[in-house]
Amino acid sequence: MKWLDFETIPKVILEREPDYPPWAVSLTNTLVNRTGSWRIFRPKYFDKTPPCNDACPAHEKIQGYMELVKQKKFLEGYELIIEDNPFPSITGRVCFHPCEASCNRGEYDESLGIHNVERFLGDYGLKRAKAKKSAAHISKQIAIIGSGPAGLTCAYYLAKSGYKVIVYEHFSLPGGMLRVGIPAYRLPKDILNKEIRKLEVLGVKFKTNFTLGKDIFLDDLKQTNDAVFIATGAHKSRNLGVPEEKTRGVYSGLEFLAQINSGKRPRIGKEILVIGGGNTAVDAARSALRLGILPKILYRRTRHEMPAVAEEVQEAENEGIPIHFLVAPVKVIKSKGRITRLECQKMKLGKPDESGRRRPVPIKGSNFRIKCDSVICAIGEQIDLSVLTDDIATTGWSISADDWGRTNLPNIFAGGDCVTGPKMVVDAIAAGKRTALAIDSYFTSREIKEEPNPEITLFSNLNIGYFELAQKVTMPGLNVKERKRNFREVHLGYNELMVYKEADRCFSCGVCNKCDNCFVFCPDLAVMKSDDKYDFDYDYCKGCGVCAYECPRNAISMEEEEAR
Amino acid sequence: MKFEIPQKEYMYPGHVACPGCGGAYSMRMALKALGERTIIVIPACCWSIIDGPFPLHACKPPVFHTAFETAAIAASGIKAGLDIQGKTDITVMSWAGDGGTLDIGIQALSGAAERNDDFIYVCYDNEAYMNTGIQRSSATPWGAWTTTTPAETPKSEPKKNITEIMIAHRIPYAATTTLAYPDDMIRKFKKAKSIKGTKFIHIFAPCPTGWKMAPDLMVKICRLAVDSNVFPLYECEYGIHYTINHIPKKPIPVEEYLKPQGRFSHLTKAMIEHIQKSVNFEWELLKQRAGVS
Ligand SMILES: Cc1cc2nc3c(=O)[nH]c(=O)nc-3n(C[C@H](O)[C@H](O)[C@H](O)COP(=O)(O)OP(=O)(O)OC[C@H]3O[C@@H](n4cnc5c(N)ncnc54)[C@H](O)[C@@H]3O)c2cc1C
Ligand SMILES: Cc1ncc(C[n+]2csc(CCOP(=O)(O)OP(=O)(O)O)c2C)c(N)n1
Ligand SMILES: [Mg+2]
Repeated sequence: MKWLDFETIPKVILEREPDYPPWAVSLTNTLVNRTGSWRIFRPKYFDKTPPCNDACPAHEKIQGYMELVKQKKFLEGYELIIEDNPFPSITGRVCFHPCEASCNRGEYDESLGIHNVERFLGDYGLKRAKAKKSAAHISKQIAIIGSGPAGLTCAYYLAKSGYKVIVYEHFSLPGGMLRVGIPAYRLPKDILNKEIRKLEVLGVKFKTNFTLGKDIFLDDLKQTNDAVFIATGAHKSRNLGVPEEKTRGVYSGLEFLAQINSGKRPRIGKEILVIGGGNTAVDAARSALRLGILPKILYRRTRHEMPAVAEEVQEAENEGIPIHFLVAPVKVIKSKGRITRLECQKMKLGKPDESGRRRPVPIKGSNFRIKCDSVICAIGEQIDLSVLTDDIATTGWSISADDWGRTNLPNIFAGGDCVTGPKMVVDAIAAGKRTALAIDSYFTSREIKEEPNPEITLFSNLNIGYFELAQKVTMPGLNVKERKRNFREVHLGYNELMVYKEADRCFSCGVCNKCDNCFVFCPDLAVMKSDDKYDFDYDYCKGCGVCAYECPRNAISMEEEEAR
Repeated sequence: MKFEIPQKEYMYPGHVACPGCGGAYSMRMALKALGERTIIVIPACCWSIIDGPFPLHACKPPVFHTAFETAAIAASGIKAGLDIQGKTDITVMSWAGDGGTLDIGIQALSGAAERNDDFIYVCYDNEAYMNTGIQRSSATPWGAWTTTTPAETPKSEPKKNITEIMIAHRIPYAATTTLAYPDDMIRKFKKAKSIKGTKFIHIFAPCPTGWKMAPDLMVKICRLAVDSNVFPLYECEYGIHYTINHIPKKPIPVEEYLKPQGRFSHLTKAMIEHIQKSVNFEWELLKQRAGVS
């Protein structure tokens, strides 16, 4: 066995003590480790479209103005709306708000009161926003026929872009159905007047009491203007189509409303039947009630198929107006030249028709008579095509135009109810806005901006853990008693506190609102935060996806890394 | 809702935790609360790797790497050394895994707590020995898969309740917290820092790798753990005063918490029911202790 001889081991002689500590110390940081190379998926900030913006025919940036309201920036909110809809005080009152039906909050507790917020911002803007002055600097003149929401909207955006605009209107005041159709208890005339006043300040000229086909003609307008926009709506009341309907005591719903809306008190009976299920029928009935008469509504389908704005139907019932469903008139019974009874028939629902609603089918032998002294007929409106020239293509019942209001003639555009048949105010506004873009593009060859990003954030894309239940702020209004015998506005609008509280319920679906979650939850310190935005530090991001998952609103997407 | 957390970072990116590591995230939050004047003591565990290989180092405050069983005693020693030097403004924090706390380190920890040494002891609990390849620890829950408790014979012992063990030491502060509640976590670390004596913080810190779970669920799984009462958030002062910090309005079934995790995928309906029962039982017990009905 060999023993180690310590003496022979050479000694290491140190000149000085080592200056390293007696154990290993790391003196540099991990920044040299570019852990981004581990990544398989890459997060990206990518805003999607909220369902409300998508559902709004005018594509209002709803989520955008809710965020502004949350910051109490009401004027900025107003300015953001009028980029897409110049009349928020109008739509905030009468729109059927498809935005609310698509609101993701609806699947959680209750959809946001979007139109209530819109109305607040509209009224706020009417009071506080600085009016945009005339800016006509383009030597092109556009004639618009019809001053309903389609015509007004198109006029607004064209005038704002600097075009000269003249609006021709058959009635003595502009507004279309907003003035002659929708009653004051839903849309006060002074609100309408103020909205229209915005256009006058912008330099839009109104020529009222001018009827196309009577005082002015399309051929002349084509000569004297660079483009023409036809927005004449649908103003011909459809006839009942039953025997003896031309009897004294049978009125047209539109005419009845037009009289009331011009401040007259039409002479009408005491036992009134209103026929129809659309806005005209419901408004006629509720107007009659305000004259002190309790009418009955007869509708040939069921509540589900009623084309009227659902809330207004509900209000009519709240006010005590009975609605008889699945009943259709078949004959007017008269005595001494005046209606005394309406013969009706019971219906049942059959297969869906071309509108997708189930068709009413008469039940044989179910006829019965209802005592009455007047009938208000409100079964729909039609388009008057007789004022057009022959060279404009039609479908036979409406003007043919594409989504951008372009007809078969290059400088003639058309939009609103006269193209689509009776629809809603916001549809007409959307048509007016799109046509303004198309007219501008016609002169400048500028490309028309496309619609919002098609990727829509649905309820299932949200991280719902971050939201708390919150009740919708109720809209203050008149109770049923207070509505009797007057045309005062029924809904009174939110105040600042209410609008703030309601907007605060908005999920901001699909759009980053700087909630910080991505920054907070990143385990790899790879989210760089600056005052106005976040950025990913791809040098270090490992692609775990926590940021995308914890984003409450689906504003981060994960994409597969490309192999290199 | 916006989480109000300190903006300054006391950690560098480039650390080598797996994607979606709950432990890495927890350290980031802890240091945000404690700040620069901190010394961290790390025994053998994932975090001894995460901090970076020599000569790299991810935490801005110094880290003292120590042996597996010595997290608490090393901290006691460092604190004593600082005291002798008159450096009283430095927080000493032990940062150990569940293995290093509930198993091998419990003796040193119990000793330090008995002496009420002035430091914060953190157990980031990923419910197994992750660093060495997912072996079961006494923090592994009943029924879970690990490499040493395969799906055919999953773990048959319930999870050891370390927080109650520490509370029984009557230390001035013991708390549970988890990732989905960053404000809760920050608040508890700040509170721990302000108290003299032994403070114990138990962090439920998911390990996507060891739990066979998608890494993007790192935070979500914590939310589910709390909302199902699998891991209640509470704190206790001096071993007596309990406060439950989050009482789910309507607890979700434990199944929702178990489902996204591959380590529970073998569970039968009866086993899930058993887990639900024991979770309910523990929750009632905790409520009794906290005097909540
Ligand atoms: C009673 C009633 C209530 C309604 N309630 C609602 C509601 O609550 N919410 C909702 O969204 N929608 C409602 N609507 C529907 C909505 O009013 C219309 O869809 C919308 O007004 C259509 O806009 P427009 O611009 O296309 O046409 P209109 O508003 O009809 O405007 C057309 C204009 O053109 C003028 N005009 C027509 N022919 C000529 C001519 N030959 N020469 C010159 N001018 C002409 C008309 O006088 C009119 O002013 C309601 C409709 C009615 C009738
Ligand atoms: C005395 C001793 N025994 C075993 C080991 C090997 N070892 C290193 S880390 C580790 C597991 C640590 O598990 P845990 O504390 O839960 O931390 P995790 O890795 O899960 O974060 C083991 C067993 C060791 N380093 N020292
Ligand atoms: Mg562990």
